[in-house]
Amino acid sequence: MAEHYSSFNRGTWRWFLQRVTAVFLIGALAFHFVMLHFVNHAASITFAGTEARMGGILYFTLMMTFLVTAAFHGINGVYNALINMGLKGTQKKVVAAILVVAGIALIVQGTRVAIAMSPMF
Amino acid sequence: MSTKIEEKPETETEADEQTSPGEQRRELKRERAAEREQQIQEELSEAEETVGIKVFRFDPEVADKEEPRFDSFTVPFFRGMSVLDALVYARDTYDSSLTFRHSCRQAVCGSDALFINGRQRLACKTQVSDLEWPIRIEPLPHQDVVKDLVVDMEHFYEQMHAVEPFFDPDETPDGELEEQRQTPENREKVKLSTRCIWCGACMSSCNIAAGDNEYLGPAAINKAYRFAMDEREGEDRKQERLRIVEQEHGVWRCQTQFSCTEVCPKDIPLTEHIQELKREAVKSNLKFW
Amino acid sequence: MSQSYDRGIVESFGRWREFSAGMWAWIFHKLTGWILVGYLFTHIAVLSTAIEPGTIAAAGDGEFYTSTLQGLEELLIVRFLEVGLLAVAVFHIMNGIRLLFVDLGIGLTSQDKSFYASLVLTGAITVASIPTFLAGVL
Repeated sequence: MAEHYSSFNRGTWRWFLQRVTAVFLIGALAFHFVMLHFVNHAASITFAGTEARMGGILYFTLMMTFLVTAAFHGINGVYNALINMGLKGTQKKVVAAILVVAGIALIVQGTRVAIAMSPMF
Repeated sequence: MSTKIEEKPETETEADEQTSPGEQRRELKRERAAEREQQIQEELSEAEETVGIKVFRFDPEVADKEEPRFDSFTVPFFRGMSVLDALVYARDTYDSSLTFRHSCRQAVCGSDALFINGRQRLACKTQVSDLEWPIRIEPLPHQDVVKDLVVDMEHFYEQMHAVEPFFDPDETPDGELEEQRQTPENREKVKLSTRCIWCGACMSSCNIAAGDNEYLGPAAINKAYRFAMDEREGEDRKQERLRIVEQEHGVWRCQTQFSCTEVCPKDIPLTEHIQELKREAVKSNLKFW
Repeated sequence: MSQSYDRGIVESFGRWREFSAGMWAWIFHKLTGWILVGYLFTHIAVLSTAIEPGTIAAAGDGEFYTSTLQGLEELLIVRFLEVGLLAVAVFHIMNGIRLLFVDLGIGLTSQDKSFYASLVLTGAITVASIPTFLAGVL
């Protein structure tokens, strides 16, 4: 007991990461909207334009981070909402597994799309 | 209006010239009832104002009350009348089977938290004049109803006990009769959290506690705060307390809807306390060195 | 002998008229959150069909991508849905900022006012963006 309590607590980390990703997403989502609706008009998007943007290493990294943080924030949010509604036991484990798989699939497919859009690859 | 079983008027058989003692008693009783009836009418007509209350009725053990319903009572209004006063009048005057908990009548015992006009309030602390009439009185939502306005508080108490709500310092002073002193600042910090009267209004108002039965709930977390923040207990005990509230069904379930803070009859900033415990838990988790 | 029975609207969202600011903020935040996570999946799915991974690498001109996106943008309904998405995103951001302050324990006593502020800001930003979003189709 004398030792400082430091064991990894999943609930604590999920809460904390939800907030950290939130801070990043506020900027990233706003930037994404401004970039693709105001700076570049959504109706005039062409593959050449997308390719030019995704060719920049900074922009590409930003979009990839956006994808991963948004996937975590969204899926973790859904999981929280379901626990709040009283999800528990085996059902909870099954739902958690499904959500993790969905999240990974989203990130994998998103990455494939990003790579296809970028002339860097 | 009333569920009291009415005395059936006896059909008098004039066989005996002398009335039996039983009949004499019944006669007296009828007279008293008539007198009381007249008195109520007088009270009602003398009162400058009367207030209508609609009270939730339910009793699984009485055939007539198995189906939940609302009964209306008319109560003479007086200045300074609380909702509890109105309920007591209705029970004493119209229906002695009307059931509700109350004890101290001064917002200390915490037994008369009810759902009054769509909000969790203490009946003894709520002025009739502050409410819209007729007043609708129901038992606390999200708890099982035992009878009329009485709810089962067992689950609430279980959650309260789960946070070990007692003072438990790491070390006690050396001297046998030495006091365990607390700084005025620290007393100020925990002051509001000590006000809890275990009425259960917060738990009943909480949308998450309603969905997730394992959620500790605002009152229990506030109790944990009261001791975790008490510097006399020591660091080890504080870490143990944090370990209880940082479980999945502890502080993380709070969605900062502020419902509990709004209904708390003792004005405890519950959401604020829960949020502070969240930050404390994160801090203690981040300190992995 | 406690007994469970259906207490109807007492225990459900049927009492929405009595909800206070904090509760509304939570409902809207949750609703917009569900929409955004749903859109995230849809977004990646639409982009996936538009890039045709097999042909892109070979042809490299991205003609299919351009025509898919511009075809979608020609539809009036898509433009309106985009305005809706903007409103949803802006509210989630605004209320999200409010919630971050609540988590930091800042301004908890004016949490209702900050909710109304996020509503007003969302409305203002959405209305101001409508011309940009509908340009070309109307």
